[in-house]
Parts: sequence; structure tokens; C-alpha cells
Amino acid sequence: MKNGLTLFLGVFATLAISWAVLLLAAHRQLGSLPQFKDPVDEVLHPQPLSGIAEQGRLVYQDLGCATCHTQQVRREDFGGDIKRHWGERPGYARDYLRDKVVLFGQSRLGPDLRNVGARIPEAEYYYKLLYAPESKMAGQPIAHGMPAHKFLFEERPLNGNQPSYKAIKLPSEFAPAGNVEVVPTPRAEALVAFLLNLKDTYDYPVERSLNAAATTTGGH
Amino acid sequence: MNSNDQTDRAEQREIDASAKWPVLVFFASAIFWLILGGAMQLAATIQLHTPTFLADCVWFTHGRLAPAAQNALVYGWGFNAAFGFGLWLMARLSATTLRHGGWLFVAAKFWNVGVFLGIGGILTGYSTSFELLEMPRYVTLLLLVAYALIGVWGVTTFSIRNTENVYVSQWYLFGAAFWFPWVYTIAQVMLFRAPARGVLQPIINAWYLESLYGLWFIPMALAAIYYFLPKILGTPIRNYYIAPLAFWWLVISTALAGGSRLIGSPVPVWIPTMGIVASMMLVLPLFIIGLNFWGTLSGRLGAAGASLTLRFMILAIAGFALSAGLGLFLSLRSVSAILQFTLLTDLRDWLTFYACFSVAMFGAAYFLLPRLTGKEWRSTALIKAHFSASLLGVILLTVAMAWGGSQQGHLLNNPAVAFADITRQMVGWHTAHSVGLGLLLVGHLAFLINFVWIACPINSRSTPLAQIKNPPALALATKEGHA
Repeated sequence: MKNGLTLFLGVFATLAISWAVLLLAAHRQLGSLPQFKDPVDEVLHPQPLSGIAEQGRLVYQDLGCATCHTQQVRREDFGGDIKRHWGERPGYARDYLRDKVVLFGQSRLGPDLRNVGARIPEAEYYYKLLYAPESKMAGQPIAHGMPAHKFLFEERPLNGNQPSYKAIKLPSEFAPAGNVEVVPTPRAEALVAFLLNLKDTYDYPVERSLNAAATTTGGH
Repeated sequence: MNSNDQTDRAEQREIDASAKWPVLVFFASAIFWLILGGAMQLAATIQLHTPTFLADCVWFTHGRLAPAAQNALVYGWGFNAAFGFGLWLMARLSATTLRHGGWLFVAAKFWNVGVFLGIGGILTGYSTSFELLEMPRYVTLLLLVAYALIGVWGVTTFSIRNTENVYVSQWYLFGAAFWFPWVYTIAQVMLFRAPARGVLQPIINAWYLESLYGLWFIPMALAAIYYFLPKILGTPIRNYYIAPLAFWWLVISTALAGGSRLIGSPVPVWIPTMGIVASMMLVLPLFIIGLNFWGTLSGRLGAAGASLTLRFMILAIAGFALSAGLGLFLSLRSVSAILQFTLLTDLRDWLTFYACFSVAMFGAAYFLLPRLTGKEWRSTALIKAHFSASLLGVILLTVAMAWGGSQQGHLLNNPAVAFADITRQMVGWHTAHSVGLGLLLVGHLAFLINFVWIACPINSRSTPLAQIKNPPALALATKEGHA
């Protein structure tokens, strides 16, 4: 290879081909994937996130939750995702039309969160998890190894006032010393609203057949 | 020494003198980020076994600190080092001086300001959360403008070359100079300017990651190895005639292999399948490159005792082989079902970036900096310490992450094990990971001390150039390339 132009054209072609056959082809296939209208109640699925959950998505992004948590449920016969009850069914590409920013994640240092809102529908759980991950709920430690996110809460001295109705109830060993209440900030509320909305519970009739494993008897 | 050799030597000195200040500036910034990014990475790993560490400050929560560290290492250390090394090697191999180097200072300043703002953006909460594209949108343009200047310098130096032939290192440098800005721009446009919908976003991210590692860092490392092996051993690359085949096959397969990061994900199944096929196609170029390197090295390993640069290059070859082997292994569906999303996935990219690319850059720096400054390294002991720390750190991290990762994968896929128990069992591996990173940091500090000694104009005793042993000219000099 002596000729700079040949080299340049080869270098250009390499990337152009890769872009065309991977990204462009994927875009042609998925770029216009529509929501699915349920034939019975005529609701479009996946339903968009509520405003506060959408704000929570931004908090999820800025705190880098995706560093340790995935948001994808793999097939029944592919890893233990379904057996761990991380979802009732595998994820479909259509599920992700709901998300403005799709964060699959690369690491499972923490559990998968794709259906966490369906698994644990109590807001109180998430507030405790974020403030004191090692505290217990129903006799079980909430999490192990997760860093606390105390900066998402406000610690306010009570000075004899009644505690806020939003204050979270903590076991004494995890509560701050003195007569102080712990109140989630709006950021924490948005994040929890987002987590509670993380659920792919609608089972698309069209997807079930499309995503079924190929039968071994049928000739392809 | 005949007169021809002497003209060559004079010419090399002229080239080195023209490259001196730009390369020094790039390496100084690179080492700054290497230390800072390494310390941040160490802190982020400590958080994995001691979750309370720095947890109360929102800037340093693990989800921000870990990506910030990775970005500092990749865009701060990795790119600056690649710029410095790439420009110098391009000038040397093209037998032409690096002209108007002042513009490169401007570019270096823009690039580093961009990285600085980007890291600050991640730490203060403007992260996009796309892996290695976390830096907020406002730095994109800054980085691209800075890159444009540097890339143009590299390509211009190539196009005014005074040599008849083009050496294999030049193909890799030339290709990388074009691929990075293209994939970066495409990823930025398709993710942020005109965002694609739904699962296309992770597909774009996977494609970007694969291209960044495979079409920027790997080519830089290979350019270094292809240059330094024959240079130091004084023998041509064995089986050189098949190197072009390996080049094209390697880059085309890598460019198509992005889908292998999405095995099992909710994307159309042809995407991971194409990725797996492309990954498997990498076997042939890897075999050829192995043949090139091994053929050149075999029987001459004794020379490694005499040359520290060569030792780093051999370690980089080992890192390349490990990362490529692990990449192939992880792209098998049955393996990926168990080991995806574990420490092994991280290990694969870390081996590419650190054990292959970074180690090759260390070796290159130890060769080129004395030639640029006309001084000798003050302390050989520190270089040896750096090498030993790199070797031990790479071994420790590889073992900890491979063993820990496979344990993690098996526990994750056993639904009888509670999640908290997995985290508990991983603590030991995370601790070993921290120790390994600490060891690497010690090596980096040794590098820093030596660098300050050699680069600081007032500090170091100057040694006459004649004392630098003149390595044998590239034996391919007349046939393939120059310098």
C-alpha cells in the first residue's frame, strides 16, 4: 500500500459499511416502530411516563444509576433473569418506546431495575433504600453494598413541631441523632416516582408470537 | 558508521526537535489525567467494598465517580498520549518534520479544557449516562474542534511524506485519525442532536464503544508494537507481506462487531448475531498479527533484558492477546448467558485500554522522550519499578476480575442465591481490584517523577545526545518506510 488515496478510500469504506449495515439497517427496521393499540380498551402501549417520573429519569441519569444497574430482562432460556423474577416476560424492543433515553446498562453489580416498580410497589421502600440501604424492612435487610444517597434528603430539626407527613420512618440506629426528621427532596420524590413506573407489565399479543423461541420441529 | 547513517541520524534529530514541544505538552497533560483518573478509579473501586466511602458528597457518589474516572482515563490520558505518540511516529515514519507545531498547543489546550469541563459536568450532575459518552453536550464541539486540528496535523504530515513506501504503523495511525472523529460525530448526532428512538440508542452506544476501543486504541497500540519491535530488535517484521491482509480484515471485522455487546438484549436478533460472526472473523487477523509479532520476537527474547521499551511492548502484546481472546470467548452465546454484565465484561474493555494500549504508550514514552529532550532518564530504577508495578497490577486485576466475574455470573444465574449474598461474596474480589489499582498508581507516580525530571527544562542535567544508544535503523528502511 503506497497510495494514500487508496488507503483513504478503504478507511472510509470500512466505516461507511459498518454504519450502513448496522445503524442504518437497524434504523430502517425499528425507526418507525409504533406503539400498540390494545384492541379491547383502545389504549396505546407502552404508555408514556408521567411528568414527575420523566423528571425522575433525569435524576436517574445524573446520579449514574446505570453504572451498576441494568434495565433489560433476557429470555427465559438465557440466564437467570426470569427465574430471579426480574420480569414476568422478556423485554421487547417496543417496551423501550416509552423511554426518551434508553439505558440498558452494562453491569449487574446491583439487580436489574426494568420491572422494579412491579416487583416492589411501595414508595417507602425506595426512600429507605436511598437513605439507609442497610436498614431493614419486614425483617429483611433492604440491600447490601449499595451506597447511601443521603444528599437526596433534608434533615430538619423538629424543635417541638410536628413532623412532616412526608418524613420517612427510620429504625433508631439509622436515624440521625437528636430530634430530627428526614424528608425527601423533590429530586428524591421524582426518582422514586420514576422507579415506581419501571414496569413492563402489558403483554403485547403481537410480540408474544414474534419473540417466541423457534420451534425445533418446524422447518425454516 | 557510514555517512548514510549519519544523514539519517541528523534528519531524525531534526524531526525530533520539531516534535519536541507539542509531544511534551501532550504527554504532560496525559500524565496529569493518568494520575487523577487513576486516583478517581481507585476511589470508585474502594466504594464497591466500602460503600460508605465518600458516599455523603453528591459529587463523589459511585454512579458519578466511576464514569468520571473512566472518562478521565480514556479522554484525558488515552487521547493525549495517543496524540503525542501518534504525531511523533507519523513524522518519523514519513521522514518529515512536524510543522507549525504552535497550532498543536492551541489544540491541546482546547482538548484538555474540554475534558476538564466534561469531567466536571459528570461530577456535578450533567451526565448523559451513555457509556463513554457521559460528558455533557456542551463539550462535544470543543473536543471535535480540538481533535480536528490534531487529526489534520497527523494526516498532513502523512501526505507530505518523503518516503516511497508506507509502513504498517502508518496505516493504523492514518485509519485511526479518521475513524475516531467519524464515529464520535455520528454517535453524538444520533444520540443527542437528533436522538434515535427506543432501543436504537443502546445499539448506537454499543457501536461507538466497539469502534472507540477497536478502531482507535487498538490501532494506536498496534502501530507502536509494529514500530518498536523491529526498531529495537534490529530485524524486520517476520511475514510482513501478510500484514496488509490482517489490517483490512481486522478493521472491517471490528467495525461490524458492535452487536456482540448486545447478546440477549431486547434488540432484533440479527444485530448480536452479526456481532458474533464479526467477532469470530477476528480469529484470522489475530493469528496473522500473532505470527508477525511472535516470528519477530522468537529467539530474541533475551533482548528484552536490555530494553525496557521492549518489555513494555511484550506486555502490551500479552494484553492484546488476552483482550482479544476474552472478546471472542464472551461473544459465544452460551458463555454470554452466564458471564454478561459481570466483572468479566469490564475486564475485557480494561484489558484493551490498559494492558494493551496504555502499556504500549508507556513503552513508547520511555523510548521517545529522551530523544526529544536530548536527556537521559534520571532513574532506571523508577522505570523498572513502573514496569514491575504494571506487570503485577495487570496480573492481579486480570485474575481478580476473571475469577470474581465468573463467580458473580454463576451466582447471578442461580435464583436460589439472594442478591445481597452475591454482593457479600464479591467483597473480596473488589478488595483485590483496589489493591491492583493501587499498585498501578504507584507505577504511574514513578513515571510522573521520571517525566518531571526529563521534561522540566531547568531541573535536569543535560546529557550529550551521543550517549543515547542509537538503535539499529528499521531493517525495512529501504523497502518499507523510513526512520
